[in-house]
Amino acid sequence: MNCEVCQLKELDVEHFEIREVLRCILHTILFHRALGLVRPKDVDLELFEITYVQCGDAELERKVDEKIDQFIDRVEKHPNKKTQICISLYEVKNKQATWFTNKVERHHWEYWYINLNVAQHPKGHSSKSHSSKVVVDPEDTAAEARRARRAALETSLRDVLFQIIRFVNEKKDHVPSIQNLDGMLFPYEITISSSSDSAFGMDMFKRMLQTGHPTMLS
Amino acid sequence: MASYPGNTQSEPAKMEQIITEFFAKSLHIILESRSPYVSSRNFSGEQVLSSPSPSSSTSSSSSLMPRDRWFNLALRDCPAALENIDFWRQSNLEPMIVDVILVQRPNDWDPLNFSPKGGLVRASSGKERYYYGSDNDEFGCEAKNEKIIERWVLQYESKKSGVYCGGSSGSKRSSCTSSNVLYKKSTLLLRSLYSTVRLLPAYKLFRDLISSAQIRLYNLGHRVSSFVEPFTRREEADMQRFVFTPVDTSCGRLCLSVLYRSSVLDVNSEPSTPISPQIIPEYVGSPLAEPLKRFPSGLISQSTPSSSPFGRRHSWSYDLYRASPPSMNPSPSPSPSPSPSPTYSEPHAAKQRPHRLPPTGLPRHLHDETPAADMKSSGYDEYLPFPMFSPSPSPSPPTNPPGGHISKVLSRSESAPVSIPASKLRSTPALPNNKLIAPLPPMKATPLTVSKQVAHSGLHQTSSRVDKLFSFSKDEPGKMLGLKPSSSTSPSKSFSRSSNRLLFPDDYDEFSGAFIVDDDDMMDPGSR
Repeated sequence: MNCEVCQLKELDVEHFEIREVLRCILHTILFHRALGLVRPKDVDLELFEITYVQCGDAELERKVDEKIDQFIDRVEKHPNKKTQICISLYEVKNKQATWFTNKVERHHWEYWYINLNVAQHPKGHSSKSHSSKVVVDPEDTAAEARRARRAALETSLRDVLFQIIRFVNEKKDHVPSIQNLDGMLFPYEITISSSSDSAFGMDMFKRMLQTGHPTMLS
Repeated sequence: MASYPGNTQSEPAKMEQIITEFFAKSLHIILESRSPYVSSRNFSGEQVLSSPSPSSSTSSSSSLMPRDRWFNLALRDCPAALENIDFWRQSNLEPMIVDVILVQRPNDWDPLNFSPKGGLVRASSGKERYYYGSDNDEFGCEAKNEKIIERWVLQYESKKSGVYCGGSSGSKRSSCTSSNVLYKKSTLLLRSLYSTVRLLPAYKLFRDLISSAQIRLYNLGHRVSSFVEPFTRREEADMQRFVFTPVDTSCGRLCLSVLYRSSVLDVNSEPSTPISPQIIPEYVGSPLAEPLKRFPSGLISQSTPSSSPFGRRHSWSYDLYRASPPSMNPSPSPSPSPSPSPTYSEPHAAKQRPHRLPPTGLPRHLHDETPAADMKSSGYDEYLPFPMFSPSPSPSPPTNPPGGHISKVLSRSESAPVSIPASKLRSTPALPNNKLIAPLPPMKATPLTVSKQVAHSGLHQTSSRVDKLFSFSKDEPGKMLGLKPSSSTSPSKSFSRSSNRLLFPDDYDEFSGAFIVDDDDMMDPGSR
């Protein structure tokens, strides 16, 4: 079975937007890979006029939020690096309990890379959240700029959601048979990595090879 | 647990069952998020207002319905979907077209913009009975402003025919798709349908409708049929299309696409460009047209949301749809609804209401005036083979009483059949041609242009097709999987429901119970 990779369009977000944006994207991906019985749950974003779908599973929600926390933590620790979050889906291959490998062998069949470009906050800037670019602009101009930026992000986020949908639509062959599915979702993991721009591609490549990358350690 | 619930025997039977259930599920998904209709579970005329916001909604938390097992997707109850699918099930996998219609009420709060009903009622009269999901009573048959904001086209195309819909995918077909693969792929497709439905602009209307306690100035209706009135090209230009990648089966493929307006609420973006003079004399005989045609664009902007839209509605009296956006401003949800790729470029295009009379640039062929035309990209050209000048008229014209007393020009679409609640799907095919038949006299009266003649012949053609509707009989059950587009699109199928229940009673028993509906009372809370 081949492995498909989807690189999602990069989004320019501000710190306070990370959580919503990631929730939206992660849950949308997972919903499309939850081929077991699902009771979908609609969620309206607060910052954007977007409704996305969750699987309606509290445990999954908790896991996603946990990963988002990790992501935010990473962003704060490494403000100068790009941080990437990846969902990978795999199948558990027959665990042949030999001498050396009593480990479960994971066969990854899909990677989703979510790319966020988090705007850096000027340290000590008192005004909560909003655009870091606001420097000398009059109040209303700044507000206008924020609105425009928000609208642009909303459009981009919507584009990303459609990108997910298109990918799901176009690539169906590599998805394992539902017969092999045990539970609601195919086994998955969410990993976070950050690196400088130059090393980014290599990082991805390495992670695809299942090697431990330094930046993967929290 | 993960396998599909059908336990039929042969592979083709399984596949057919999957396809059938796919249609049902798709319809359910679409209407569940478009039909602002309380579920039968908590049905009450007024509960729409207090129904929970979708933001926290999940499908009913009660025990699983048998149908939930299909594609592992548990959905909320949606009576509108259930009753429609019940009709559809009895057809031979004919195409399913779901129109989502924005209906705007004549606002009570601003009587000034209330328009004379003359030309307006007619178009809606024929459609009313399809609004299973909207509370008709509230809107009554007062002048309504209607606009199709989404058109979902779902069809199964047989490989035999060699004609495939969409043509956009160009995917290689594996000739030996197993039912398991088909099931997996349709499950995936339904997941993405479920998401997509919530990302399209119309969802915002729906959401506001069911979540706000404000007076609603609009409602959403829907119409499910096996074929539809065509959009003109220009009207289509005002819409965007999203084509889901078809799912191949061993005998054909499942196609799903949606044509949607990216600017259901965005009124400001609609300039009041006058249309080409060539078209106006043809269908707007009304004196109302002239003054309004010259409406300054400024007036139509949001500053006077109430009056201008209706003014335009007069001028394009048959075109209820385009006039609507401006009046959306005062609605509870005025914010523009973004879409993945908005096209505000040619909003006025749709003023040429397609189905009543083909405007100049319109039909490539005569049959464009037929419902089939709307699906040009979908191999619907297959309609052509139908005999064109069959004498017998459609049965529907007689049924439409109101047209008579109204200005002839305006009465054109008034000829839509009176609502006959009994059989929804059945009456659907009559819709388009009715609209053509009534207008005939006025058309003759006006100077003929080429396009008019097109319309004229189109009229005959459609009536002959309707004829066929009633004369054609059941399709061969054996073709269930091998539907040729030509036959599958044939309206006749609508009437074949009586006979071929090709599907497998055993498997459907559990479902059919869920889909039993009362023809006469679609809002019956106990229908489920």
